[in-house]
Amino acid sequence: MTKQEQITQLLEALKRSLPEVREAMVASPDGLPIATLGSQDTAARIAAMAATALGLGRRIAQTTQLGGMKEVVVRGDQGYFVIYQTGDKGVLGVTVPADANLGLLHLEAREVARALADIL
Amino acid sequence: MKAPLKIVVTGPVGAGKSTLIRTLAKEGYVDTDARATEDIGKKTTTVAMDHAVIDVEGTPLHVFGTPGQERFDYMWEILAEGALGTLLLVRADRPGDLPKARQIFEFILSQSEIPYVVGVTHLDADVAWAPEEIALFLRTDPALAVGFDPRDPRDALRPFVRLLDALDGKR
Repeated sequence: MTKQEQITQLLEALKRSLPEVREAMVASPDGLPIATLGSQDTAARIAAMAATALGLGRRIAQTTQLGGMKEVVVRGDQGYFVIYQTGDKGVLGVTVPADANLGLLHLEAREVARALADIL
Repeated sequence: MKAPLKIVVTGPVGAGKSTLIRTLAKEGYVDTDARATEDIGKKTTTVAMDHAVIDVEGTPLHVFGTPGQERFDYMWEILAEGALGTLLLVRADRPGDLPKARQIFEFILSQSEIPYVVGVTHLDADVAWAPEEIALFLRTDPALAVGFDPRDPRDALRPFVRLLDALDGKR
């Protein structure tokens, strides 16, 4: 199985365990899309933004002495976009609606992020 | 108290934006470098911004550097918000980058008409355009083009001194 297939399988497994997941994507830390479940039209843009958010988050964590970077949560009126660090070779971005169980998302997505770190 | 002077440093990838800010920052320098996964002629690339407060002849400048790669273009708009001046960096040895430089430049100036200086780097390359030629291509005043080496602490101040002059004309 290629890396690409392994990554896509992990994203699909995440969506199976949390059906409210609207979009899930993996990008490189410099903002290039690696794999995405969801709209291909916006994949490149979201990949770049996920890298920006995580890159900036890392510096905020350092400057405010929060230690290593783990995740960034963007909460809008209609949902969340959560970006998880996946080792030092990638970022995982997940979109869920506002009524999603964020605790459950963290539980599942952090597991996926760990698995992704091993693959990448 | 005078309002802090916010300056945006922008330009295409590899022009020397991060290098310039790093050279002049004494402490508290913030970068957001990520390892480049594609061939852009260097190992890392800025994904969000560079930031430092630098001292230019006694005037503190709050300098914000943008990413250079086009896919981060939304950061130009975010960082240009409230900027009082902009420094556009262009490499003298990559004429192919000039249309991109012009595009970034026009975007920043379309946000608001702020004073600017064009900084020209990599003048030590075998084939390099003169700063005046680059100004001509960008359709700007050649007097606003400054050739300099962003790695050299004294040289790196020159475009900012020139920009402060331009700002003084406005204030």
